Amino acid sequence: MQLTLLPQPDGLTIRVDEKRLDAAIATAFKDRVRSMIAGGGAQVTLDLGGVEFMDSSGLGAVIAIYKAMPAGRRLTLTGLTPNVERVFQLTRMDTVLTIRKTAETTETRQKKPER
Amino acid sequence: MSVSSQQAERRLRQPPPGRQPMFHRIFRADPATVRAALLFLRERFDGSAGDEVIAKLELALAEVLNNICEHGTRNEAERLAGRPHAPLIHLCVARHVGGIACAVTDDGRPLPLSCLDARDLPWTGPPPRDAEAILLLPEGGFGWFLIQELTASLSYFREGRRNFLAFIVPVTEPLLQAGPPPGDT
Repeated sequence: MQLTLLPQPDGLTIRVDEKRLDAAIATAFKDRVRSMIAGGGAQVTLDLGGVEFMDSSGLGAVIAIYKAMPAGRRLTLTGLTPNVERVFQLTRMDTVLTIRKTAETTETRQKKPER
Repeated sequence: MSVSSQQAERRLRQPPPGRQPMFHRIFRADPATVRAALLFLRERFDGSAGDEVIAKLELALAEVLNNICEHGTRNEAERLAGRPHAPLIHLCVARHVGGIACAVTDDGRPLPLSCLDARDLPWTGPPPRDAEAILLLPEGGFGWFLIQELTASLSYFREGRRNFLAFIVPVTEPLLQAGPPPGDT
């Protein structure tokens, strides 16, 4: 499992360097991220820019991470690729979780319009 | 493996020009074999329909196959020492006019019929604000909702020791060789 911890002035960013957030790694992913969050500041950003595919077990892991956030800490998701964004939208979890649009994903979407 | 033999192998895995892709694979239910099957499927079906359709196909199949891994395992009879038996999955996918047809069979535990009932999201409502409400958010139960949302003509029967599940992922575009090449008007 490839995760990169990037310290930030107000917290930390965890970059997910896995192309697939699926049932094969969902539990390990959840446990690793939760232990990484234990240290660090108030703002926690989960950068999913490298994730090309996520199923409901990956979604469940992200929700579990959100639910386990310590008091006073905020979780933000960023870098959602179209396939990952679709899972959040279909399940309406995009209304619950904080998702920050990045310039990069907008650009990708303009290059590759959904048919 | 050399680059040219990798390219040759990749070419062999793709349908010949003018043909529509098909896919058949038999594998033991396990998250790693499911991942390998889906990667192979994507390689074969990429370009046979819009990117969004192929992504929906991959997601729907992932949900079906994950369910078999998670819930299908049963224990063998006592004469076989009662060992856990991971289901053997047969997966067949074919591009047709109007959709990509999928058939999934497995020799695991019977699928509960309630899975096929029309269902709502496990969670609807306003975003929870306080910590207690957040803890009530579901971490699962999305699978069959997604399958029903992404597919059409979902049908199921059980015969002997096997589950048979079939569905279509709809495609509105014509078969690729029927029209002008993409970008040509």
